[in-house]
Amino acid sequence: MDEAPSNGAGDLRVWHHPVLGELQEARPVQITVDGQPLVAREGEVIAAALLAHGILVCRAMPRGREPRGVFCALGRCSDCLITVDGEPNVRACLTPVREGQVIWTQAGLGRWEGPAG
Amino acid sequence: MKTTGIVVIGAGPAGIAAALAAAEVGTSVTVIDEHPAVGGQLRWRIAPLRGLDEALDGLPACRAAETLHERLAASGVSVLAGAVAWGLFEDGSLAVAAPDGGFRLQAEKIVVATGSVDLVLPFAGWTLPGVLTARAAQIMLHLHRVLPGRRVAVIGEGLDAAELASDLEMAGAEVVLRAADPAQVVASGEGRVERVSANGERREADAVVIALGRQPDPELALQAQVEFGYSVRLGCHLPLRSELLETSRPGLYVAGEAAGAVDLAESFAEGRLAGLAAAGATPERIATAQEALARARSPERSAEVDRMRPGSLGEARPETGTGAPWTSWAEAAAGGGQDDTLARVALCRCEQVTVGEVRQAIEEGALTINDIKRRTRAGMGLCQGIFCTRAMALLLHASRGIPLSEIAPMTERPPTRPIPLASLVEIEE
Repeated sequence: MDEAPSNGAGDLRVWHHPVLGELQEARPVQITVDGQPLVAREGEVIAAALLAHGILVCRAMPRGREPRGVFCALGRCSDCLITVDGEPNVRACLTPVREGQVIWTQAGLGRWEGPAG
Repeated sequence: MKTTGIVVIGAGPAGIAAALAAAEVGTSVTVIDEHPAVGGQLRWRIAPLRGLDEALDGLPACRAAETLHERLAASGVSVLAGAVAWGLFEDGSLAVAAPDGGFRLQAEKIVVATGSVDLVLPFAGWTLPGVLTARAAQIMLHLHRVLPGRRVAVIGEGLDAAELASDLEMAGAEVVLRAADPAQVVASGEGRVERVSANGERREADAVVIALGRQPDPELALQAQVEFGYSVRLGCHLPLRSELLETSRPGLYVAGEAAGAVDLAESFAEGRLAGLAAAGATPERIATAQEALARARSPERSAEVDRMRPGSLGEARPETGTGAPWTSWAEAAAGGGQDDTLARVALCRCEQVTVGEVRQAIEEGALTINDIKRRTRAGMGLCQGIFCTRAMALLLHASRGIPLSEIAPMTERPPTRPIPLASLVEIEE
C-alpha cells in the first residue's frame, strides 16, 4: 500500500501520528465480510480491519437482536464475537486477519458451519 | 506436571519488574501473559514515562515496552506469551492454556501481576456499537492505528479521561463532548452511535469512550481465596498484603495495579520488591527495593497500604452515606427519580440483564452479588462479571444501604477465560 486508499470517507486509519510516526506499509490481505470484499493489513486483528472500514457491528445478541461491536478490545467482554470461516464465536479483537478469510457478522450464538470436528 | 521456581502472571510493568528482579537473584522464572507480546498497558499507551528507571524515563510507554522486552530476553526469563493462566488450585498448581496446548504448572512462588481493567458503569445506549472502553480506544489508536470514530465523546473526568482526550486529538479525532457522570449520558442511534447528550448538551458523534478510570483485576488471588479488604479510595476490595507484598496465602504475592497501585512507577517498584522477596534475595537488596517503593508512593497511598495488611479487614466504612466513588451513579440507578432511563439499560452486557431487573432482584431480597447472580444471571456471562459487578455492588449499596465495604466480590472460579476443551484434555495427558 503506497498511499492512503481512495475510499476516504470509510477510511479511519491513522496514517500520520505525532508520536508514533507514519503508518508503515503492510502487505494487503483480502478478506470478505458479509459477502463484500475488503482489504485489511497483514498483522492486524479482524476488529481493526472492520473498524478501519467503518464496520462497527460484529453480532446481534440473542435477546432482541441488539447489535454489538468492539467494546473492550482485550478479549474480555466477548461483544465482538463473529463467525470466521464457518466457526462461530470467534473474538474479532484477538484474531488476526488471514488471506481469503470469510467473515460473517453473527446472529445470536451463531451456527457451526466449519469443517467437522 | 511442569515445575518452575517462580511464576509471574502478567507481563505489564509490575510483572516484568518482578520477573527481572527474581532472575537477578538467580531463580528460574516463567512469565505468563495472555497477550501476544509483553508490556501490558505500556504497549498501547504513548504517554511519556516518569519514575520507572533512568533508562526508561521520558520514553513513550509503547517504546518502553520494546526495551523491557529486550531486557527480559537477555535475562533468561522464560516468557509464555499468548497463554492464559486460568486456574489457581488448592495444591498451589496453576492451569495454563497456551497456544500449543494446555498444561499444569507447579511453582515454588507465584506473583500475580494481572493489572487492572477499565471501570465501566451502565448508561443509556452503552451497548451500542461505537461505545468502547478507554483501553479499547488506545489499542485501536496506537496498536492498530485506527480511529474508533471521528467525533468522539469522552466520559470521565480523571487522569484517564484527560489522557484519552489527548490521545484522540493527537490521532486526528475531534472530542465533541466531555461528561463526568455516566448516569447523565445518553448515546443513541440506529444500530450504532450517532448522537450523544449529557447535561443538556447534545452532539453528533460516532463514538463514545468510557474513561472512568481503572479497577484492579486480581482474579487469580480471588480464586485462591486470599484475604481481601476494602479500599475507601477505590470503593472496592483489594488483596491484603504484608510489607513484602505477600498475601495471606504463603508464597502468593500480588503486585501492581492488581493490588491497587496508583501509577506505573509504583507498579514497577512493587513488581521489583515482589520479585526479590519471592526469590529470597538478601535483606539488603530487599530493603533497597522497599525504600524505592516508598519513594514511588504518595504519603496517602503508603498509609492506605499500611492499613491493608493480612489479618485486618482493610478499611472499614461503616457509614452508608455518599462519598465513595460513583455513589451518584448508584443513586440514579437505584431509581425513584423522574427520569428513570437507566431502568431499561443493560447492567450485565453479556446476559442482557437490565438495571431494572437487578433492582427487582434486590427488592425481592437479594443481599449479595452472588445472590443477584443466581436470581438474574447477571455476572454469569462470558466476561465473568468483570464489567458488571461494580454496578451490582453500587446498586446494592444505594437501594439497601449496605456499606460497600461489606459487599463481598463475586465468587471467582476457574476458568478465568473461555478456554478450549482440548486444553483440559491435554492437562491430564
